[in-house]
Amino acid sequence: MADSNLKTAPMDTPRAVANKSDREHLLRAIRMALAVQSPAVRLNTQTFNTNRYRATALLPDYENLKDEARRIKEKSIANLPELVQTLKSSVRARGGHVCVANTAEDACRYILDVCRWRGAKLVVKGKSITSEEIHLNPVLEADGIEVVESDLAEFILQVADEQPSHIIAPAVHYSRERITALFQRKFRTKAPLDSGEALTKFARDLLREKFLYADVGITGANLLAADTGTLMQVESEGNIRLASFLPPVHIAIAGVEKIVGTRHEMAPFLELLAASGTGQGLAAYTSFLSPPLDDPPFALPLKALKPREFHLVLVDNGRMTMREDSVFRETLYCIRCSACLNSCANFQTVGGHAFGGETYSGGIGGAWEAGTGKLENARFSELCTGCSRCVNQCPVRIDIPWLNENLADRLNKKAEPSQLSSLLGAASGTAPYDRSGSASKIFFANYHYFAKWGSRFAGASNAVMGTTQGRHLMERWLGVDQRRTLAPFPKETLVQAAAKLEAKAGKSPAAKVILFADVFTNYGFVARGLATLKILRALGADVIVSEVLPEGRAALSQGMIATAKNHARRAAAELEPYVQGGRDVVVVEPSSLAMFRREFEHLLDKKMLFQILRASTFEAVEYIVKLLAKSGREPRKVFDAASSPVGQNLFFHAHCQQKTIGCASPTEALLREVGFDVTTSNVECCGMAGSFGYKKDFYELSMAVGADLFSQAAKREKDVGPRALIASGTSCTEQLQAGLKRPVMHPVELLAAILKI
Amino acid sequence: MPDLVTTFEQNAIAAAAVVWRCERSPLAVRQAVERAAGDARGIVLSDAEFLPPPLFAGLRGLAGVIPRPEDEQLATADVGVSEAFAGVASTGSVCIAMGRPLAAATSLLMPLHIALLAVERIVERPRDLFDPECLKGEGLRRNLVFITGPSATADMGPLVLGVHGPHRLQILLLE
Repeated sequence: MADSNLKTAPMDTPRAVANKSDREHLLRAIRMALAVQSPAVRLNTQTFNTNRYRATALLPDYENLKDEARRIKEKSIANLPELVQTLKSSVRARGGHVCVANTAEDACRYILDVCRWRGAKLVVKGKSITSEEIHLNPVLEADGIEVVESDLAEFILQVADEQPSHIIAPAVHYSRERITALFQRKFRTKAPLDSGEALTKFARDLLREKFLYADVGITGANLLAADTGTLMQVESEGNIRLASFLPPVHIAIAGVEKIVGTRHEMAPFLELLAASGTGQGLAAYTSFLSPPLDDPPFALPLKALKPREFHLVLVDNGRMTMREDSVFRETLYCIRCSACLNSCANFQTVGGHAFGGETYSGGIGGAWEAGTGKLENARFSELCTGCSRCVNQCPVRIDIPWLNENLADRLNKKAEPSQLSSLLGAASGTAPYDRSGSASKIFFANYHYFAKWGSRFAGASNAVMGTTQGRHLMERWLGVDQRRTLAPFPKETLVQAAAKLEAKAGKSPAAKVILFADVFTNYGFVARGLATLKILRALGADVIVSEVLPEGRAALSQGMIATAKNHARRAAAELEPYVQGGRDVVVVEPSSLAMFRREFEHLLDKKMLFQILRASTFEAVEYIVKLLAKSGREPRKVFDAASSPVGQNLFFHAHCQQKTIGCASPTEALLREVGFDVTTSNVECCGMAGSFGYKKDFYELSMAVGADLFSQAAKREKDVGPRALIASGTSCTEQLQAGLKRPVMHPVELLAAILKI
Repeated sequence: MPDLVTTFEQNAIAAAAVVWRCERSPLAVRQAVERAAGDARGIVLSDAEFLPPPLFAGLRGLAGVIPRPEDEQLATADVGVSEAFAGVASTGSVCIAMGRPLAAATSLLMPLHIALLAVERIVERPRDLFDPECLKGEGLRRNLVFITGPSATADMGPLVLGVHGPHRLQILLLE
């Protein structure tokens, strides 16, 4: 270094932040990932994600395959103890050996014993994340055995001494340039290694030598069939095939949850895994092996010829306990495809060294880390914002946000309540069970309560929130980042303003509607509610406005499930009689609507009521489209884009949860239909994600996520000229305004402005 | 609707394999393998199970074929030739039964893998092989691999073809 006196803060290493059992480590990991890893992670995960959308669209029976896969996993986990026994007999009948290891230590000890027994000096491994979970390599190495990772990503990690940052692409955080620098440094070579080909050849030549002389090959397995003892192995590089075929001893390591009943039950997973994982029709190699293989192992001169031997190590390590847990049992259906990682905006931005633990990462990672280790290891699951973009991408339909909300709930319980959180908790009616959460979480979970008082004294509250000092206090006590602007409280709430309007419903209205006064529309964006009211009434609907009520979204997002259940029950009870009386429920805020359509399934005891509400709740524009269709009116005769106050060119960003429940497309279609030129964003989430981006801890990450959205809008405008910004979600609006410094309109506001009737 | 063979061909090419259509005669197969192998020397043949023996017999006389390879020769050979017992149209995959002598080696160890596939053994989708009726009950072998294009990796940055497995996959479609 030229200036040896220059003292710089040492950058955290991935290993140093692998264990995120406290908040400080989590925040350090985020900083490290944003500073070093973000560009490579973004490029790689977004490529996977794009390919995944394309590959799944090519499967004509994609949805059926998901149902079938889900059923098979449910059945298999239900019968798991029997399947373990059947699999043991099947493998043993073929001359193989089986060890069911209760703990990681047991698994490592068994593998070490096999290696010792066979006098193994060199072990070559195909990719196995389960072997990372049980920390196998150090155990073998301590005994003087050379362990070589042969999957190129795992090889990079071994050279760099880092933990995986992704489930199927463990070195997803490495750019080509960083790999070149790493290899040149670690292998002390001046070879240029300046292309993917050169790096691959370098590693491949080195590893081929190891393969040929290895005593033991260790692989994982994607699935196991109990009836035949068959392993299904999916890979692209060929290293798993080599590790299974060349050495005389093959050890396969797999979590017990990978077992299905029969080989036929593996069939639906073939295309589903390839499409969901790497976004391919099939990966280069999908093998079905029932070892030990018949042909003799590879014998080079000087290498003693030994008969083939096969060992299957089934790892429990907490899985049987997860199976007994009514919430976390679902984790065991996971087939490790990584669709939830690649479709997650936060993950795309920081990868698994921040959004991940020692082994597992991403949306599903927290449940795995908690289940196979300690609950505290899952603290990184706070990076799941509940945006739900992964939900429809999961090939076995795991409700991943629900798992993470439950992790947050259990972590909240372990926290020591502060005086402030106890006070705020009691005042806001937070369920006693939830009051140990931080003051910040209690604030966000009960925003309705604070907004109610805030808007009662709107002038004063807005004045306080507008001062540096006020914002500083909000940040210090409630964790609201002072760089963020909370929507100012209106002088008149939606409920108050609507009460002043004359509701003139005809004798035979086109429809009977109750407009749900969600917290954010009522206390923040009143104009949206009034615009909805205006349009629906113009279309002849009889519309009343509900009482303002939290429906549980805010509490759920803070992992306060008891409070969320209280809110959900109350909102459902309020709406039920109206729905029974024939009213449809129209909701402006998509995150509220998604509660009725999705999360109420978990939160309401009365499943019937959930079904009823799911069928009778509608997003505002979705409902307008429905009414137009019902009345046979031509949209262009009702709305006239020519009279738009913001021009005819729009950049539309739909809300993440709105997309998940499938009601973003009506808005897009209607805007086009009435004459707008619409560009739609294609980011998974804006990065604000409810309260997430308001929090001081996550402001930088949130803005880094938002950068994709901002640049999409900017690029489109550069290419084709200015566009008005349109967004359906409250927090998306705030995020777009923060990023592009321009006003954002809700689609209903725009539609109300161009209403011709 | 394109037929299964055309679909297979398109998808195999999309997966970075090279596909040749070839007449089902010993001479044509021999010429096709010669052309596919190019300058490569050190050719290893695995046994045929379904294709008529004369087709393979004709290959034994090709220059560079190693008659009964030692494992050491397998490690340095350039070309592996094997029979695919099935092909999959929707993915362009060839299916190789493992366990027969040299089947694993020829499809895995050499930089160039040449797979011979009879067009009537092409099924529509991967899972069709799991149907007991498929290919007269010969669809689901005890040890088998679906091979889709050459081995590949995206771990070193951009997509690279040719990693631990073959760098090139050439498929001879026997019409």
